[in-house]
Amino acid sequence: MARLSGLFTGSVIFCAICSAFGATFENTAIVRTVELGGSLVQVTTTFAVKALEANSKIYTVALSDAELQTTSWLEARVKGQSKVLEVVDRDPKSTGVHLLDITLPQPLALNASVNIVLEAIQTHATYPWPETASQQEPQALKYKTDLLVLSPYHTAVQRTKIRSPSPSIHSYTTPENVDDFTLDAPVTKSGATVTYGPYNNVAPSVNEKFISKHQQPVFLHYDYEYPVVQVPKLVRSAEISHWGANLNIQDNIHLRNAGPALKGHFSRLEHQTQTFYKRSAPHVIPGLTLHLPAGIRNTYYYDLNGNVSTSRLRAAPSVPKDSQANQYSVLELKPRYPIMGGWNYSFTLGWDSPLEDSASVDKSTGKYIVQVPVWTPIPAAVVNEAEVMIILPEGATDVEFATPFPAISSSMSTHTTYLDTTGRPAITLHFKDLTERHAQPIFVSYSVPMSAHLKKPIAVAVAFFSVFAFALIARRIDLRIHKN
Amino acid sequence: MSAAIPLPSDLSPVTVANTASLLRIIALALISGAAIASRLFAVINFESIIHEFDPWFNYRATRVLTSKGFYEFWNWFDRTAWYPLGRVVGGTVYPGLMATSGVIYNFLHALNLPVDIRNICVMLAPRLQCPDGLGDLHVRVFFNHTSCLHNFGFRFTKEMKDESAGLLAAAFIGIVPGYISRSVAGSYDNEAIAIFLLMFTFFCWIKALKLGSALFGTLAAVFYFYMVAAWGGYVFITNMIPLHGLVLILMGRFSSRLYVAYSSWYAIGTLASMQVPFVGFQPVSTSEHMAALGVFGLLQIVAFTQLVRSHVSSKQFQDLLFWALISVGLLGFLAVVGLTYIGVIAPWTGRFYSLWDTGYAKIHIPIIASVSEHQPTAWPSFFGDLQFLIFLFPAGVVHCFQQLRDEHVFVIIYAVMASYFAGVMVRLMLALTPVAPVRNGARVRGIFSLDTRLTIVGTAFFMLAFFVHHCTWATAGAYSSPSVVLAAANPDGSLHIIDDFREAYHWLRQNTPETAVVMSWWDYGYQIAGMADRPTLVDNNTWNNTHIATVGKAMSSSEEVAYPILRKHDVDYVLVIFGGYLGFSGDDINKFLWMVRIAQGVWPEEIQEPNYFTPQGEYRVDERASTTMQNSLMYKMSYYRFAELFGGKPATDKVSIAFFILLLANMRAVSLDEAYTTENWIVRIYQVKKEDVLGRDLKSANAFSQGRKRKRSRPMSRRPPVV
Repeated sequence: MARLSGLFTGSVIFCAICSAFGATFENTAIVRTVELGGSLVQVTTTFAVKALEANSKIYTVALSDAELQTTSWLEARVKGQSKVLEVVDRDPKSTGVHLLDITLPQPLALNASVNIVLEAIQTHATYPWPETASQQEPQALKYKTDLLVLSPYHTAVQRTKIRSPSPSIHSYTTPENVDDFTLDAPVTKSGATVTYGPYNNVAPSVNEKFISKHQQPVFLHYDYEYPVVQVPKLVRSAEISHWGANLNIQDNIHLRNAGPALKGHFSRLEHQTQTFYKRSAPHVIPGLTLHLPAGIRNTYYYDLNGNVSTSRLRAAPSVPKDSQANQYSVLELKPRYPIMGGWNYSFTLGWDSPLEDSASVDKSTGKYIVQVPVWTPIPAAVVNEAEVMIILPEGATDVEFATPFPAISSSMSTHTTYLDTTGRPAITLHFKDLTERHAQPIFVSYSVPMSAHLKKPIAVAVAFFSVFAFALIARRIDLRIHKN
Repeated sequence: MSAAIPLPSDLSPVTVANTASLLRIIALALISGAAIASRLFAVINFESIIHEFDPWFNYRATRVLTSKGFYEFWNWFDRTAWYPLGRVVGGTVYPGLMATSGVIYNFLHALNLPVDIRNICVMLAPRLQCPDGLGDLHVRVFFNHTSCLHNFGFRFTKEMKDESAGLLAAAFIGIVPGYISRSVAGSYDNEAIAIFLLMFTFFCWIKALKLGSALFGTLAAVFYFYMVAAWGGYVFITNMIPLHGLVLILMGRFSSRLYVAYSSWYAIGTLASMQVPFVGFQPVSTSEHMAALGVFGLLQIVAFTQLVRSHVSSKQFQDLLFWALISVGLLGFLAVVGLTYIGVIAPWTGRFYSLWDTGYAKIHIPIIASVSEHQPTAWPSFFGDLQFLIFLFPAGVVHCFQQLRDEHVFVIIYAVMASYFAGVMVRLMLALTPVAPVRNGARVRGIFSLDTRLTIVGTAFFMLAFFVHHCTWATAGAYSSPSVVLAAANPDGSLHIIDDFREAYHWLRQNTPETAVVMSWWDYGYQIAGMADRPTLVDNNTWNNTHIATVGKAMSSSEEVAYPILRKHDVDYVLVIFGGYLGFSGDDINKFLWMVRIAQGVWPEEIQEPNYFTPQGEYRVDERASTTMQNSLMYKMSYYRFAELFGGKPATDKVSIAFFILLLANMRAVSLDEAYTTENWIVRIYQVKKEDVLGRDLKSANAFSQGRKRKRSRPMSRRPPVV
């Protein structure tokens, strides 16, 4: 009974929303393109929008709760423009359908139209099916999404294209109960693309009645020929040293092959044979190729049992700050063992880079500004949980920081390391579900007074002086009771 | 004797002393630098890693000590070792090494120097060389300093020269390969710290003896305690000092100095050593320690006689008394033997017997004989470890006889004992290495003080230079390999690292349940515990012969016998080392006969060594290998699917250069699954199957799951289902 009344209240709210905004815009066309992958799925939705009222500025899109859960990157643009539009979740705590407000760059006149492109990257949206695979078997994944793009406005026509990376699609859902929108085949497949729609004359759909009547899940089961890389936990610590003119970055990476779990056991013989004939199983991670920043030195790669000798680094020379880096230091990283489905591998990767490549001084205030990337992307991987710790020089004050996207939590602490007396301020930030798109810099600004710079030499000098003073005195003390 | 180059006469003595002191400090600093640098080959050629086997346990224990504190370490019961028995680590370990690292760790962290515990452990051995050189110098300087007291006229020049001998000795000991073998960076073993303590204890003892000082006697006792806490080889000190005392008494050199030094050292040292839980009451209850007690008693008697003699006049009576008391001492010795016989005092242990009879261990305790460092030393290794010190060594000993004061007697005894022990056990070469340089420091110094003829200086210089060259070569080549990784050369000459051990251990660590029990031969126990962090059945702390024999039996029996053993011990994974693919000769097939022998020691009816040889008495692994050999679990695990690598051509084992043709093709283990094999096949890990849930025997369960029908024509397996 309580649930029913909840539903009832929900529908009332939905209807209220529909009546309030339903008339502002009309979608002339919605095209959703889903690029399937392993860990990451890219969803691009283009809304062709016509204003039904003059001076309309806020366009609203709707995402279901499940969609919002998996979406870890969301960006809206006017088609053809590079400026990113502001997207605000109207009620982050709501359940069911979330309404996101997009502020257009300028208000639309009556009957004027605009194309809005909503780019989203979904993580954890696919899962291996079957759940286990032996060394010789291929890897197949399943992707689940909703059939219709919801919108608080009336939609003239909408379609969803799902593109698989390989043409071998094992199965896909044929939607039922869509006669209201189309009389043709509700779904067509050509090559590696499965298209749902076009569906015509979709009424405003953000309401319980429409969802329960028309919305339905669709599944796509497809072959995927690359390993599914997941980083369950990433801990990055970035240590800024003014005395060493150095930015040290160290990542503790826990890597996991999220593809189908290995059926049976690993056979080295099979693996060697497959490698020899260059047809490795698709779900093996034999190694990773990482693009580290240019100009790095002292790169280290070790795990709990010491240095991992099987890696190659091709370092690129340093590039000045803010210039376009067209070169990377390429690290060919090979784990101790090929990572089969369901296997884990944790390691530590770190390097030093010149501080001038990522730091600058604000002339007007004398503050230092340092940029530290949130993470160094591992291609096609998702980071479930990330902790970034930025350690500032000892004695840094007026610490401020700006993250490229909101962090889950942030805290300040004190970190004590070599030759420290009072410890260094450290910022700890937590993120989740990071993708390649999240590899953007965090900006930290702080000022360091001269006295703080001098702390280290003074501490060292005092230490040496005390040792000498102690020796000076100790030499002259005679504890003998009777002299002979 | 005159100095080779006379000192300018217009210098004030203070200037000379200060200059000498400065030069000495610089020379010592350089020697320390050279000693440390030559021990870093391992880190530079490879990496900062703990070497070999035992150091992995020490490292693991140190980590427990630093992370949980000393009391937790003291009470540490390690459930993962000797599964399912466990091991009381706090009571079965010499904690000196770990405590030293723990103190250094805490000290550095208190100073805000967060050095990783691994680096502290890796660098502990080289770091100790610095004070070691110093300590040795002091011994040497002290010998010479006191030796020239009578020669007032040339006191300064003389002291310079003697200190130069001390410096030479320090330089020798700093780089001599025999000692480097146990103190390279990463060789985090008890010996690394113990030799330094051994030297320092002897230094304090000599000084106490010379001065008759209770302070230095106490210091010797304190360092003796440290030594007891650090290494089982402390017994060497426990017997060397009494022997020295006894020889001095028998030479008629008893003095109050000897009495004070020995009594203070023995009383305090023994009480202190009993505080180490692993030693406990051994100092008063085992034969190894009885000599020290006996000499202590003898000294009291002799001292008492001296006291009586100083008060009574009749000389004949006193002589009679003296000899009577000597015989009382002998009676006491016989009493000790009697008590040992009855059983009050524990007799000598097997390892001790094997010091006197090199064949003893092979017959009675195969587990001791199976360790390569318990083998008698070969001649080349004397030269390899000591180079020209070995042939100058006798000259140094002769040199001692020229003066023959108390401390020279000590050095002579030390030289004789150490040479003997180095001869019977490779491991004890270590005890010899400090004394050889000390003697040769004096010898070479003697050459320099001769009227300098160019040829002699040239020869001496050539020998020294060649010595340095040899030490560097031996250190870099022979003693700096971590043995956890193997090195090979790429076609372009660069270093190629074969890292199969860590690959396998890391795989175990990350992809098996934390409670999975791993069975392997005991050599790899500490490494599995340290790197893979998994429970093991047996490890390098070979305290339970039966348990090791059980593993040996499982490895050397057929599957039908081995499987119940594996299941009863909850074994989840079996790890074997296989060198046939790469030509790595230290593999389990090579050690296999030791497993057989140790198992035979406990189950003589079930395991017989001759069954593993061909009728011609050869140890073969190819198709002519004996049936018992071919059916053994070890053999099957080593060669499982090995033949398939060769695609129909005869398979080749690169270690034994054996060729297989068809034998291996049909070999299948029924009760084990291959779980992981490393890149070069060196480590192979098998998972033990659980009993079939339907109660079938594993053979038919396998056949069913592979879709094969059981052949009805054959009689059914007679093997009872395993419960």
